[in-house]
Amino acid sequence: MAEKLKVAICWLGACGGCDASIVDLNEVILQVADAVDIVLWPLAMDFKYRSIQQMPDAEIALSILSGSIRNSDHQEMAELLRKKSQVVMAMGACACFGGTPGLANFHSKDDIFNWVYRDAPTVVNPDGNFPQPETVRNGGKLTLPHFFEHVFTLDQAIDVDYYLPGCPPPPELIVNAINAVLAGDLPPKGSTLAPRKALCDTCPRNQRKPNRMEIRSFNRIHEVEADPDACFLAAGIICMGPATRNGCGETCIRINVPCRGCFGPLPGVVGSEPKFLSTLASLLVVERDDEIKEAIDSFDDPVGYLYRFTQPSSILGRRSAKKVTEEGS
Amino acid sequence: METYNPKIVCFSCNFGWGYLSDAETIGPTILNWIPVVCSGKIDTSHILKAFRAGADGVMILGCSEGHCHFQDGNYQTRKKVFLIHKVLDAFGIEPERLTMELDIDPEGRKIPQLIAQMQHHLSGLGPVKQV
Ligand code: SF4
Ligand code: SF4
Repeated sequence: MAEKLKVAICWLGACGGCDASIVDLNEVILQVADAVDIVLWPLAMDFKYRSIQQMPDAEIALSILSGSIRNSDHQEMAELLRKKSQVVMAMGACACFGGTPGLANFHSKDDIFNWVYRDAPTVVNPDGNFPQPETVRNGGKLTLPHFFEHVFTLDQAIDVDYYLPGCPPPPELIVNAINAVLAGDLPPKGSTLAPRKALCDTCPRNQRKPNRMEIRSFNRIHEVEADPDACFLAAGIICMGPATRNGCGETCIRINVPCRGCFGPLPGVVGSEPKFLSTLASLLVVERDDEIKEAIDSFDDPVGYLYRFTQPSSILGRRSAKKVTEEGS
Repeated sequence: METYNPKIVCFSCNFGWGYLSDAETIGPTILNWIPVVCSGKIDTSHILKAFRAGADGVMILGCSEGHCHFQDGNYQTRKKVFLIHKVLDAFGIEPERLTMELDIDPEGRKIPQLIAQMQHHLSGLGPVKQV
């Protein structure tokens, strides 16, 4: 019998939601586990990193990596699995675009440490202890990974073959992606294994979009009673659907929550946020400068909406992990 | 001390600005001058990419109100500018580094002046701080 293909599943700067989505494959996961040899999956099984280090290069057929690159441990793990794998798939918004952790890039490392270990109202830290990468205790040296200045996408740290967006990606797309790799039936390297249309194209609310959309001010979803069938954006509720790739199964839309953009930009677009801004501007129908300003000021936390999942891969937020970490973190 | 010479990218509408002067006479006096068919054609990503590429400021020259050749391109971009100010601010880029001027100047004589003014203003701000 031919040897089973080896698959590694690993979380880097991740919340575990992506792994949970793999667990959500339910019975299908058993078929997958039958068909392949899972050599690493920290969430679900017990493995030693050493056994991966000892493998010959390119021994693993597929590595599925979720999470961003936030510290030196993530980077080392990503580099190791890259070396040992034929195909690397970035799974989830964090690995693909930086994800919600990427919003941290709007603050410096010092700001974050000061807040978390000193200034937040719930912190009690009278000795002013801050985590250190190295501590000597009783003659022994203890180490922690280095926390980088910046949150990176996976492909800013290593070469990535395929992308599977979503926060987390839905189980159907995960199965399709794994099967495609196992069958060797893959699109060109660099492809995103998800549909190529905008969410608005498949959104059921699109049917109830007025011919001419006119927005005068913005509302937040909890401030208004949104019609469960009508287009959010038409009611001035920020919905990232026009600038976001579909494939999520409209899960948010169906429970009366507008799209936040976790599937990232459409094919060929770098950063969905400028496209969304252009769309939004054209829908605003206020005339005078002071009215425009007032309307735009009613858009609460625009940057939190526009960059919710994509700061590290955006036009202004992009950095190369190699360059930044070599320059010293 | 090294003198700081702010780099400005200027997008201007062809229908309102400098269309009577030929590119040879006016072009070389303005670095990074990008005449476009309508100020409405300037996409948000063009502006963000200019900053990404190292611009210290971006100036948009559109036709005065009611004079857009394509109905209201100037107005559409005006709204974009206000939105982009919010984005720039979050990235630590002062919003005043993106300006928009609405006027008609067929000879484009005002363009070098406006750029000089903006350069002067940006000299006071210094280079863009990296977040
Ligand atoms: S993409 Fe979403 S579900 Fe996956 S690790 Fe990031 S935050 Fe968690
Ligand atoms: S803007 Fe949102 S609610 Fe409206 S059609 Fe698009 S995805 Fe649906």
